[in-house]
Amino acid sequence: MATLFPTTVAPRGFISTDPELAAVDRSVRWPVMICFLTGVHWMVVGTVLLVYASALTHPMDQLPILGLFVDLSNNFSMFTYGRIWPAAIDSLVYGWGGCAGLGLAAWLLPRMCREPVHAPGALIAAIIFWNLGVAGGLTGIFIGQSSSVELLEFPFYVSWMMWIAFAVFALWTIATFLARRPGNDHIGQAWILAGLFCFPWLYAAGNILLARRPLPGSGIIQEVLDAWYVHGVLTLWLVPIAMGALYYLIPKVSGLGIRFGDKAKLAFWLWLILAPWTAVHELVGGPFPADTVTVGLVLSGLLFVPVAIIGFNLVFTAFEAEEKHAHHGGVVFPFVVLAAVAFVLAGLSEQLLSIRAANETLRFTLFRQCNMFLWVYGFFSFTAFGSIYYIVPRLLDFGWRSSLMVRIHYYTSLYGILLMLALQGFGGTMQGLTLENPAKAVTIETATQVANSYHISATMCISLIAIGNGVFALHLGWMLIDWLRLRVRGNKLAAEILGEPYDGDFAPTAVKEEAAA
Amino acid sequence: MNKVGPVGKFFGLVLLIFAINWYAFVVLPWIHYGHLPPIQNGDDDTDISPFDVSGAAHQGEHVYAANGCVYCHTQQVRDPNSGADITRGWGTGRDADGKEITRRTYPRDYIWQGRTFLGSNRDGADLSNVGARFRSASELYAWLYHPDTFDPHSSMPAYRFLFITQKISGQPSDDALTLPSDLAPPPGFEVVPSAEAKSLVAYLLSLNKGYHLKQDEAGVPYKPPTMGDKS
Repeated sequence: MATLFPTTVAPRGFISTDPELAAVDRSVRWPVMICFLTGVHWMVVGTVLLVYASALTHPMDQLPILGLFVDLSNNFSMFTYGRIWPAAIDSLVYGWGGCAGLGLAAWLLPRMCREPVHAPGALIAAIIFWNLGVAGGLTGIFIGQSSSVELLEFPFYVSWMMWIAFAVFALWTIATFLARRPGNDHIGQAWILAGLFCFPWLYAAGNILLARRPLPGSGIIQEVLDAWYVHGVLTLWLVPIAMGALYYLIPKVSGLGIRFGDKAKLAFWLWLILAPWTAVHELVGGPFPADTVTVGLVLSGLLFVPVAIIGFNLVFTAFEAEEKHAHHGGVVFPFVVLAAVAFVLAGLSEQLLSIRAANETLRFTLFRQCNMFLWVYGFFSFTAFGSIYYIVPRLLDFGWRSSLMVRIHYYTSLYGILLMLALQGFGGTMQGLTLENPAKAVTIETATQVANSYHISATMCISLIAIGNGVFALHLGWMLIDWLRLRVRGNKLAAEILGEPYDGDFAPTAVKEEAAA
Repeated sequence: MNKVGPVGKFFGLVLLIFAINWYAFVVLPWIHYGHLPPIQNGDDDTDISPFDVSGAAHQGEHVYAANGCVYCHTQQVRDPNSGADITRGWGTGRDADGKEITRRTYPRDYIWQGRTFLGSNRDGADLSNVGARFRSASELYAWLYHPDTFDPHSSMPAYRFLFITQKISGQPSDDALTLPSDLAPPPGFEVVPSAEAKSLVAYLLSLNKGYHLKQDEAGVPYKPPTMGDKS
């Protein structure tokens, strides 16, 4: 068996040998790079905020340095848990999920269509405005303008800007799809198009009906709408985008066709029909329309069908690849396979929440956070990591710097999410059992004491993930700096040798020639 | 010539699926639960429940939202069949005479709230009836200022930034906090709630489901609310 992560420090030779694909990669190089860089930046910001927020959930003022956190949060409104936590989650979902997701879409869709993007400057402008929106939204939360509606905390004055930025980005990408030549069809395209299509509607509905100013007299409808929005963002935006990447990359990296590939289309439609109904997991037993809840529990209970098909598609292809090639296939494959496994696990946890009795026990506990982290950190992040490891060398024609850093990133993220799953899942169950204990002597204090140790473990798991994320961000930065240095120096040297004037442009010579031609 | 190509069909189907969800989660609840009127208890049409809360309480909703109380506290009491909320004492409100009324919450309980905070996490207690558990504003001020002295295991952060430490000039303020010695301000100073703290506490005290809705009147068997059931 070959080593899991072979050292990939080859300086060049990543550009696709297929000239069409090389042209596509070149056309989206800067938009996608900006998406990934800003996305990784928000991921680090979000994870650090999350460590801080998580550390505030267990009393720790006895500890010398951590006590400082508590003092800060007690005395400054900016650092209170109720602002840090939504800022962290929004940074992860809109900053990391939004930017990296848009980057994936902008790379995958043109590539699957074999159609370069025209005027990629529009994509760059859109992603810059999206990022300004995220930054403004986080600032809004910190200065106390949060609406406290889950995932819609951003003030309206940035939401509309983010909506326009997203719409421009999505339309520009979809235009590439519409311009494709016949024959270039792929199941991944369907996933990405669905994601790009659903998000603007969700986001507009959530913001206009809910976040800006709730409709007067709407009462509990606000909560129904929010549940639908939260699960819509997870299942109709993050999942489709990442799924498009997995359906493209797993066959690409392994060199094998998708196992049971003829069922992939069925899985897509079933997912689209069933997954949004997981929203009712937030509504069981509460003062909500009981019919919607019952119908939703039945439909989201059928979610195992698409989850199973997708699992068979992706995980079995990975098994086959391992059998055939007898190794895991470099840097990208471990991440994308893990993402596929995380998808199945997250699907199973949604399945668990579709059981009414289980849901009643688990819905107000750590289990819910665990479920969300599994989607965001487990499934989406691993897909995005694998994709970034695959895509960036092809955009820059430059290798990753260190296999050690990849290995640290992989194992800290892996054990972080596995421990999170085990400890938060178990802790949530224990907390739920305490909260729902029919004995009168049990109070909220008892439940808090039970949950406390699991809150501490959550902080440890998130810290582990934070280390991995930090190493990844440093690696990406290191790679970019090395690439810049090499390109600038190389071109300068070439100009000196050839006696040409050096104009400071660091684009590879081959590209300049083609641009001229 | 067939004008709707495969792409058109694809987007049409996605649109259809999305529209079904939209209908189920937005339109249908709006038809059945939007603009629920309060119910009239007797012949007197001023005796309605629930009744609207004060302006200060509505102001407090914004403070509650800005500081993210909803991330740890719910405001929904489930039926005894689907949770132990009533056993935890969260369903017990008090009417004007101080009589306890214990029941689950219904969609109609939330009609006056500008923004609802039903919440999805119970690291803290449910607040549906917090106004019935605290008798006075000063108790709540003290709890917000130093929650850990009431419950040493509490993970609730202190909200000291909602209070002002000021120099006493003349008489001490009426609403100055009585603090334990380790938190007390230096002599000659006092800690008073800011305007934000006052409206937040007004909001919290207004959370009290101390009235009957038709569903839970004695003798009427429990019936879960359904889409068609407007009562």
